Amino acid sequence: MKVYLDNSATTRPGDQAIEAMRSAMTDGYFNPSALYAPALAAEKDMDRCREQIRAVLHAAQGQVTFTSGGTEADNLAIAGSLLGRRPGGKVLYTAGEHPAVLESCKAMADQGFEAVPIPLGPDGLLDLQQLDSLLSKDTRLICVMQVNNETGAIQPLEAVAKLRDRRCPQALLHVDGVQGFLRHHCPVQLWGIDSYALSAHKIHGPKGVGALWTGSRVRLTPILHGGGQEQGIRSGTENTPGIAGLSAAIAAYPAHHDMRALKLRLYERIRAGIPGVSINGPAPEGADAADHILNLSFAPVRAETMLHALEAEGVYVGNGSACSSRKGRHSHVLTAMGLPAARIESAIRFSLAPDLHMEQIDYAAQAVIRSYGLLKAYTRR
Amino acid sequence: MRELIMVRYGEIYLKGLNRPYFQNLLLSRVKNAVKPFGGQTVLHDSRIYVRGMTDVEACIQALTRVFGVHSVCPAIEMGKDDFEAICQQALHLMEGLEGTFKVYARRADKRYPMDSPMINAQLGGYILSRRPDLRVDIRTPDHALNVEIRDYAYLYVRVYPGPGGMPVGSNGRAALLLSGGIDSPVAGYMIAKRGVSLCAVHFHSFPYTGERSKQKVLDLARILSGYCGGMRVYVVPFTELQMRIHEQCPEDYTTLIMRRYMMRIAQRIAQKERAQALITGESIGQVASQTMSALACTDQVVAGPVFRPLIGFDKSEIIAYAERIGTYETSCLPYEDCCTVFTPRHPVTQPKPDKTEQAEQKMGDVEALMEAAVENAEVIDL
Repeated sequence: MKVYLDNSATTRPGDQAIEAMRSAMTDGYFNPSALYAPALAAEKDMDRCREQIRAVLHAAQGQVTFTSGGTEADNLAIAGSLLGRRPGGKVLYTAGEHPAVLESCKAMADQGFEAVPIPLGPDGLLDLQQLDSLLSKDTRLICVMQVNNETGAIQPLEAVAKLRDRRCPQALLHVDGVQGFLRHHCPVQLWGIDSYALSAHKIHGPKGVGALWTGSRVRLTPILHGGGQEQGIRSGTENTPGIAGLSAAIAAYPAHHDMRALKLRLYERIRAGIPGVSINGPAPEGADAADHILNLSFAPVRAETMLHALEAEGVYVGNGSACSSRKGRHSHVLTAMGLPAARIESAIRFSLAPDLHMEQIDYAAQAVIRSYGLLKAYTRR
Repeated sequence: MRELIMVRYGEIYLKGLNRPYFQNLLLSRVKNAVKPFGGQTVLHDSRIYVRGMTDVEACIQALTRVFGVHSVCPAIEMGKDDFEAICQQALHLMEGLEGTFKVYARRADKRYPMDSPMINAQLGGYILSRRPDLRVDIRTPDHALNVEIRDYAYLYVRVYPGPGGMPVGSNGRAALLLSGGIDSPVAGYMIAKRGVSLCAVHFHSFPYTGERSKQKVLDLARILSGYCGGMRVYVVPFTELQMRIHEQCPEDYTTLIMRRYMMRIAQRIAQKERAQALITGESIGQVASQTMSALACTDQVVAGPVFRPLIGFDKSEIIAYAERIGTYETSCLPYEDCCTVFTPRHPVTQPKPDKTEQAEQKMGDVEALMEAAVENAEVIDL
């Protein structure tokens, strides 16, 4: 049996998305900027996708700019709202942000802004009191992700926005919604979020396409220059097949699914077989834990070993995030949560998709228990 | 007139009665390197000439990796009787070059009416008269314009150094213990450079090491095979033996005992491959298993010679070498390798041979495990 449980790294594109992309390449291949009728149709398809995104975000207004993915959307939100403006002031970001946000914020430090991390609690949630103490009149931008890609922690965005309104209403709030989009509710306008980044390949769409929603308070300076597409904000001929795939993926995403129940079942099964397992992140049954991410440590078995053992059983999981696993460093998220090294080194991330079945979850749990039983005795002493 | 590549060889030039053997072996290595570019190779006048290749620059690049090659020169081959035409061609070759130059004439055909100093003077004068911006410097010129008078005249300015050494295959065959680290590819390169053909033995410890760490080793082997013209890699499943060692042996001796089993298995594979020696990347004192006592203890289980060409190198020297041969970046990818999986907290640095043997005896009969490791090794020809 094959069980793919690394859906936070990427997802398998759905049939609808693939078909939409194929059709966008065979029939709808026109440059949306051209003047003839079929090109106009291509442009309308893009606008329909913008509407879909706004609908998911419960945003009546705001601009949707297509990008090459989540990373570019985050870069555009951060650099695009700060560069070309008066330098100075603070850029805050939670210590567990994805590198696309983390590194963008750090890069702003070279441009005359002060980049300050917001500490995480041991459950991976940001500490509102700590945030309160960091906010000041000179805060320019606050970056808080919706769902953490390693722990599944759902950050209290509404509370963060309220705090911002009270302490520094001028500061923009950017949300990396790559893991949260479609999976968890985020009414951007109601909550007072200023920008929101998303990516297609995390929701069963294609790689290489994403989008940034921006509200009325945001004035973006382009970071890519060229033909002035996307209202001058993001030049480059639009990735129409990618956008068609994103549009179809949003439409096909099921309104109801059992991911939370399956995640809890996976956890319960594993805990029954391995009582010493520890949770990295919020309690799985809590409202601040994402439906689709479960991060567990299997000390003393190293994550890489466990991952390969599960691979041999046909179960694919993540160790840390895919972006950092090739660099051979400790997870910055788990480190920021203050977890001990042994727990970080043995952390495995299970991330689910809506189309998984209970049998697959049970099989994966058995494989974990079996592998752990075999490996726990053979580890570095 | 035509473009060709002139390949000059170094050390084998000094061989006596055996020289034709070495020359022919080098010729076949050169032919192999040139094959993708469709060139014809001819050995003549103590040079190898390559003509008719599709991509000259890529062909030169491939030739500078052939062991035994001293240097590679893209040259012009033309009739030698019209000296004016030679001068014009030489002037053409100097186009775009600045600074100082010197003419190096070599008259292999002694019937040629002009001798070497005369060619130097006349050709140099011709160029100076038409390129007043250039100057002659006979001691340290920026550019050397070479003119060789043989059956034809050969002109060249660019000279690319080859790796030197001896053609692969001229000095037997050896098995390289290839880990994925920085050292072992360099060790393999150094021995292959002396004309030894290589096969590689890699120990794979799934699930402690994954597909990516195996791919990394194959990538390293592929880089090496660019120099030594193909290589067979044995990927040996090693987990069960490692687990047995981990279970049964005293912790401080586990790394040393693991090394001894690696050597035993490599030796069996070497026998299958008719390889006469083992090669490792060890250097005295680099880690606990590479102290002199530990190396002696490892060597006890091997009957034939173990070549350790890096034995006196510092890590920084090995890194510089790895960068030069192009293996460093790949070696630095961060996947676990078989040696670090079960690293003990305090490995023994001064192991006692008798104690090592006693520790090994605790493992019981592992002959079947060793046999299985050799039998089940995955064989990959690069």
